[in-house]
Amino acid sequence: MIFKTIISGVIKEAIAKKIFIGFFILSTLIILGFLAFVGFDSVEGIATMAGDDIKQLVIGFEGFMLGVSYLLLITFCLIGVSSIIPSMLEKGNVDLLLSKPVSRGQIILGKFTGGLLLIFLSLVYLIGAVWLIVSIKFGYWNPTFLMSIIMLTFSFAVIYSLVIFIGITTQSSVLSIIINIFLIFLICPLLANRETVLFQFITNNVVQFIINFFYYVLPKPSDLQTITVKIISGEKIDSWQPVVTSALFLITFLSASIYIFKKKDY
Amino acid sequence: MEVISTKNLKKEYKGSGFSKERITALKNFSFTVNEGDIFGLLGPNGAGKTTLVKILLGIVYPTEGDASIFGESIKNEKYKTKIGYLPENHKFPNYLTGEQVLHYFGMLSGLSNAQVKSRSDEYLKIVDMEKWKKTKIKKYSKGMMQRLGIAQAMINEPDLIFLDEPTDGVDPIGRKEIRDILIGLKDKGKTIFLNSHLLSEIELICNKVAILNKGELIKEGTIDEITSTGNKHVFTTSDLSDDVINILLNQYFATLHGKNEFIVNSDSAESLNTVIDILRKNNVNILSLTKEKNTLENMFINLIEQQN
Ligand SMILES: Nc1ncnc2c1ncn2[C@@H]1O[C@H](COP(=O)(O)OP(=O)(O)O)[C@@H](O)[C@H]1O
Ligand SMILES: [Mg+2]
Repeated sequence: MIFKTIISGVIKEAIAKKIFIGFFILSTLIILGFLAFVGFDSVEGIATMAGDDIKQLVIGFEGFMLGVSYLLLITFCLIGVSSIIPSMLEKGNVDLLLSKPVSRGQIILGKFTGGLLLIFLSLVYLIGAVWLIVSIKFGYWNPTFLMSIIMLTFSFAVIYSLVIFIGITTQSSVLSIIINIFLIFLICPLLANRETVLFQFITNNVVQFIINFFYYVLPKPSDLQTITVKIISGEKIDSWQPVVTSALFLITFLSASIYIFKKKDY
Repeated sequence: MEVISTKNLKKEYKGSGFSKERITALKNFSFTVNEGDIFGLLGPNGAGKTTLVKILLGIVYPTEGDASIFGESIKNEKYKTKIGYLPENHKFPNYLTGEQVLHYFGMLSGLSNAQVKSRSDEYLKIVDMEKWKKTKIKKYSKGMMQRLGIAQAMINEPDLIFLDEPTDGVDPIGRKEIRDILIGLKDKGKTIFLNSHLLSEIELICNKVAILNKGELIKEGTIDEITSTGNKHVFTTSDLSDDVINILLNQYFATLHGKNEFIVNSDSAESLNTVIDILRKNNVNILSLTKEKNTLENMFINLIEQQN
């Protein structure tokens, strides 16, 4: 009951701070843009296509949409949830929360779950709408596309665990936005393509080892996205390693956040 | 029944920045609060009052020592369902209305949705905030915030309520209103723990007082015990003659305040009555005779000054 209150508190906070409405508007814009884009395509062309070609086209569209929304989405979600922990930790607020009959671990888990629920619901709207549009338009229903809701939520959960960790340790939302954007848009893509990019310049074994180490330790949003695209197009996944190591990252940072939160005086 | 008891509590905070120095906020603090007490913890700013309350609520961890509430160690969270708390300078999420604040924190205290709904109006009425319940709290004045805060602390019908500086920053009329609410709680038999640096506050509603300075408990007792000065008796009389004054000074070591008032220290009714006999024999009229009492304020200032 109390746990549920914490979760619904996150959602209410998001509504009050216009995060939900912002997300709704952003998603609607993406959907409308997509609708316009799909509408321009000549219908005759499609009509003459064979079944398999349509399937390819649909998957192509879906993959493209995923790529576009992913960057916008992750950035927006990041900004949306970055203040959840810092605002909870404000003096005069955290004291009262901690005086309630709920453990500190449950508080963090509640905030985590609430944030994920927020992202999940928003993704259901965006991905669901894109899926409906594509499917109705081309008459090919690809339900595995909906798997991307789960994958994106997971991908975000990994980032969110770091947001929570930075929130607990520094109480700064700006810092978590900066660090995460830096990671998601620069470090992680570089690490994911370390063999084709970085190792062209870096030949030293020790440095390569260190870079590999960071690749395995840090979250892998780029790899997760690649896996998601493979899932929706029904391709074989070569390695689940990015999912496993990202999950380990998530568990580590969430546990560390709980541990630190449990130890601290407020 | 003992509601709160602590044993040798000690709290050290890490100093700010890089300094290794540790701040001792509480030293060897042992005390008890009994059921039905209105306990006032008095002390200047920085004495450690908030720290003590936070330890009792599990917000801050003691460096040493132990505390129990309702007879059980505070390490077990269960007691918190029966507790109300108004933090110092509390800050509720400001996008909520008064009613939503009660709902949110009531639910966090473990109440059901139905319970919160049915009690919310009742408690808003007690603190006279009914007509503001649909207003966002960012529009509230400090006094209104405090009243809402007290309603929040009462909504789960706790057996023990902690109020940290409940009238801080509130104007005199608001203070009186808050005091009346607290007296109402007292009449309901609740145990109240009140932190304040305002003496008048504590004097008016508390039956037990402890004085804290620099983390140390320097005095504890009922208001009467704390303000009593021992056996000093104040006489007001008609004009004293020089002869009488001499006797009073030499034999009774009296302290004179002009020609019409003096204080004698006597530990028995007998010695007090011999003073009265002397006065009467010398045709001095006794206008009044009282046992001298310190105000809590005097007492407080004396104690703190002695320490510093
Ligand atoms: N979180 C903290 N970190 C470091 N020092 C603190 C902290 N909280 C309180 N203190 C210090 O502990 C002492 C007691 O503070 P406090 O309990 O707030 O006193 P009071 O409530 O009586 O004004 C003060 O010297 C204060 O500066
Ligand atoms: Mg204080």
